[in-house]
Amino acid sequence: MSRIKDQMPVLIMGTGLIIYGLIAKTGALEGLAKALHTHKTLDLQITMTLVVGAIALLGAFINSAKEPGNSNFDTFVLQPLGGIVLILVMAMAIRWYMEPLVKIMSKSLQPLLGFKLYKVLNLNYVVLGILAGVVLTNTWGIPKFAAPGVKCARFVLKMGVIMLGARYSFAELAKLGVYSVWLVGFFVLGTVFLVLWLGNIFKQPKSMTGVLSAGMGVCGVSATVAVAPVVKAKSAEMAYTIGTILSFGIICMFVFPTIGKLAGMNPVQFGAWAGTGILNSAQVAAAALAFNAVDIKTLKVAEIFNITRVLFLPIIVLVLATWFGKETGQKLSFKSIVIDKFPVFILGFLLLFAMSSMGLFSPPSHYKGKYIDVSYNDRTQVTSEEWETLNNAMSKNAFSGLSTEQLEAVTNLIEQRQIAGNYDDRANKKEFDHVGRSRMTQLEGVLAAAKANQIKLSGEVKSAIKHAVKQVHKKSKTVVTLTNCMIWFFAFGLIGLGMQITKKSITQAGGWPIVMGVISGITKATLSFFVVLWLVKDVVLN
Amino acid sequence: MFNHVLLCTHGTEGALKAESFVFQKLTDNPTLKVTVLTVLDEDWRGMTGDDWLNSSKTHTTFLDHVENQMNEEIAEEWQRIKDSYPVADQAEFLQRTGNIAKTITKVAEQLACDLIVIGPYRKKKKFSIHSTGMGLKARMKNQELHPLLPCPLLIAP
Repeated sequence: MSRIKDQMPVLIMGTGLIIYGLIAKTGALEGLAKALHTHKTLDLQITMTLVVGAIALLGAFINSAKEPGNSNFDTFVLQPLGGIVLILVMAMAIRWYMEPLVKIMSKSLQPLLGFKLYKVLNLNYVVLGILAGVVLTNTWGIPKFAAPGVKCARFVLKMGVIMLGARYSFAELAKLGVYSVWLVGFFVLGTVFLVLWLGNIFKQPKSMTGVLSAGMGVCGVSATVAVAPVVKAKSAEMAYTIGTILSFGIICMFVFPTIGKLAGMNPVQFGAWAGTGILNSAQVAAAALAFNAVDIKTLKVAEIFNITRVLFLPIIVLVLATWFGKETGQKLSFKSIVIDKFPVFILGFLLLFAMSSMGLFSPPSHYKGKYIDVSYNDRTQVTSEEWETLNNAMSKNAFSGLSTEQLEAVTNLIEQRQIAGNYDDRANKKEFDHVGRSRMTQLEGVLAAAKANQIKLSGEVKSAIKHAVKQVHKKSKTVVTLTNCMIWFFAFGLIGLGMQITKKSITQAGGWPIVMGVISGITKATLSFFVVLWLVKDVVLN
Repeated sequence: MFNHVLLCTHGTEGALKAESFVFQKLTDNPTLKVTVLTVLDEDWRGMTGDDWLNSSKTHTTFLDHVENQMNEEIAEEWQRIKDSYPVADQAEFLQRTGNIAKTITKVAEQLACDLIVIGPYRKKKKFSIHSTGMGLKARMKNQELHPLLPCPLLIAP
């Protein structure tokens, strides 16, 4: 009986999801979804809610019927199921309801505030997800039934990065790799030495400056966790350091995307800056998706920088262990410092990259734009800035020289925010695909006419149309599926990580670490901003 | 009047007052049984924040280090008490990890203590860069403790 009681939240969530899926299947939610601009995701909503709901119910029944065991199935599937379902429900609610509602509310508050709140604070589903996780854990706390599942967030985020490996080409990885090794190498080592120097100036213990230098220099809390045992950090030093890093990181997560947009950074520049200047690697991913959650260009750049930083971690641990060991006489093995600290998931990322590069996911006929996907997909949409450019151009009658078909294609692009068939024909896939493809052809005609100076369009308008056309050129269905899963994995992982940021861990920031942390963090963020603007140009990303 | 006192201390200024009060009583009444309890806040388990890059081995190494560090600090705290109050040798010393209020009341119940002694409420200190004390100094809300009390609570003035 008590087992059924324990599983009650999962049963309720599962039943709720199935009821939602069935109601959505009847078409009753179409009006609401249209008002929220999420109607194009209705098919996905039905599939996801029914599948997740069925799995939740099945798992809850099994958990109610049997004693918890120690098998791998129990440990990795049955016990974490409640938490996994909870985070998925939160992710779905945020993507399909909370984000659109925040946008609508921001727009309605615009006359009062003079700006769109969601744009200034970058309140997209990623940031909202992290915030929801933080709010939940600091108000009601993580429910008991969900605790084992929440721990999966780390693994799921790693899976997201591994899947991202399928989205790089050799040229991209080579170019971004060179940028990242130089920039990250300079700023990681520079910040580590800056903190060690500040520690010396302020006469702080080596254990404290050691742990803080790794955290501020390499990858935030992850580096602190890796270095603390090596430099024998005291509890207060760890608490102050982690508090400082978490506070600084959360501020960066909101401030970086806004500054990046104000400075007119392109996705490559922003990805490079976020990957260098933001301390915690989870917050780098969040800031990259906050800067641009529509396509994953920024995320691709930021993650390369993230991975480079992580690869520097064993080196920094080795340097600090040598530096600390000299004074204390402590001896540590190469294995315990470097091999044990090596992030194994990067091998998975490289494996997916190699498989993708060898064409395992993309048959030759699908390469170089021959495969076109005009179905509804969040990532094939133009960005909100591009949409506004097109909308303004239309209201100013900037498309006056276009043919009727071309004008219809542009009008539809503005209406649907992406190249696609007619919404009402979506059940007839052949017709839907045909209309979508012909709209793409018309838009390519618009670009060709602009190039031949037959019509005059601003650079921004051409860029927006070019992006829309580019978005529907896909490498292969496998890569698209991997990317879709990856986006959900990132959303899941970041909500779960948000749940692990407690108020206590943030408010414990203090002591000398906060002084040295603020000096080194602001120096790193500011210098990397100018260096990135100066050095990093737009890299051609597919 | 009381037979078994549970002294809750973690070395803060308020807790020092509780220590002084209890060991004065112990000097006056040598038959009094005193248990010194130090509670390690369960939130220390969440110290890894939003770290997701490290392997479980690195996590375990870190948490072991945190635990060892805390044990060392608690041992130092107990030694300080023994050095300050010779009668403290008669007391029993206990360390537990968990929610502070729940752990105090649970231990009091398990040991059948008839009095719990804690230090007075102190205002949070203003931020100071010199405030690098031990990591033990967690705070507890009285409204969490009071409904759970199994015996009288004395707040040392």
